[in-house]
Amino acid sequence: MKQALTPLTQALGDNALVPRRELKLLMKRSNVPGLVHLFLWMVLLTFTGSLIWFTTDTSWLLAPAMFIHGVVMVHHFALQHECTHYTAFRSRKLCKFLASYCGFLLVIPPLFFRYEHCDHHTYTNQHDKDPEMIPLPENRRAYLWYLSTIPYWSSQFGGMFRRATGKLTKGELKFVPRSEVKKVVLESQLMILGYLLIIALVLTLSWWAPLLYWWLPVMLSEPVMRFIRMTEHAGRPTVADMTRNTRTNIVSSLWRFLAWNMNYHAAHHYAASVPFYRLRDLHEKIKDRVYVEPKGYINAHRDILQRVRAQS
Amino acid sequence: MSEWQNLIPLADLEPDDVTPARIGKRRLAVYDRPDGVYVTAARCTHGGADLCDGYLDGNVIECPLHQGCFDIRDGSPLEAPATRSLATFQARKQGDFVQVKMPVKALTI
Repeated sequence: MKQALTPLTQALGDNALVPRRELKLLMKRSNVPGLVHLFLWMVLLTFTGSLIWFTTDTSWLLAPAMFIHGVVMVHHFALQHECTHYTAFRSRKLCKFLASYCGFLLVIPPLFFRYEHCDHHTYTNQHDKDPEMIPLPENRRAYLWYLSTIPYWSSQFGGMFRRATGKLTKGELKFVPRSEVKKVVLESQLMILGYLLIIALVLTLSWWAPLLYWWLPVMLSEPVMRFIRMTEHAGRPTVADMTRNTRTNIVSSLWRFLAWNMNYHAAHHYAASVPFYRLRDLHEKIKDRVYVEPKGYINAHRDILQRVRAQS
Repeated sequence: MSEWQNLIPLADLEPDDVTPARIGKRRLAVYDRPDGVYVTAARCTHGGADLCDGYLDGNVIECPLHQGCFDIRDGSPLEAPATRSLATFQARKQGDFVQVKMPVKALTI
């Protein structure tokens, strides 16, 4: 079997930016920081959820409350992402459970996402190889179309329904191991079953909580997550060099909290086995050798839009 | 016929972690554990990634590519997508070296 050259193997190799033993120490996992973060996460969710509770009779305040709660809700993606790498907690069982829970909230099948994401790390920002690539939009209309989330939801729901019928595309079969295809199909089927069950409960019991606290907030705020996800690689060179193809964004502590430190994206791509709570330390060690946007997401989009204008 | 061979100096062993080693043309992973040392093939039986760059937690090595897991003591696959066992080799600490017991012909493979 041909040896697979993972990004981590390059990061731990002879020409590494961080000495092997130092990086290995950063890779050590613990449950404590993740559990503390999770507790604060639940406190924040309770707070933003209560904003909806208190504004349900005030129609002009309800939509802003849903948007604020939705911003936290869509950041469950960050938790799912960390759990996918098994770097949120030392416990794999807890990581698996939370990845499944978050995946169900956001229509991101956890097992499928895990394998898709492995290839994203192996072929980051490379055309036709990176299954999660968000290409630089061709023009402003394409930029806004992506942020509208219509193509995103269409791909998430469409993909889930297709895979539930047992059909995986050629591209998907490149990254889903043959031994895992049945499980990937089954997880889509189970997710659809779960959604149908909840819809049935909503309709028969007039139980509106899923709509008020989950679906509408997520739909309202997903553009925020698209806005953030676009800054990770879009507009960076489409080359197999993580020091160039990935963008780290320096953002405020609240955004860092929401993102489970995933704004240190170049550090994450440098060594995906480093837990979220050590990414800042890793960032400090490599920040002079990777691409850093010091003014955060907004400036990253200025850069993206400049590149869109330049090419259109 | 199998013989004990010096593999790597004890001083090069990454404490409580996995260290890459080579004997002949064969790449091996050496695991330092409180109850001794273990040696397996270095390459994941699923995707071919280098397990020496994986994450060692207790007696479980996690592949850096797809996060499949193996038991380092007997090479058995513990977590998908790993399905086939890793080759394992008898190992010991002897003097200043980690030694591994391998068939002599394996040294040239």
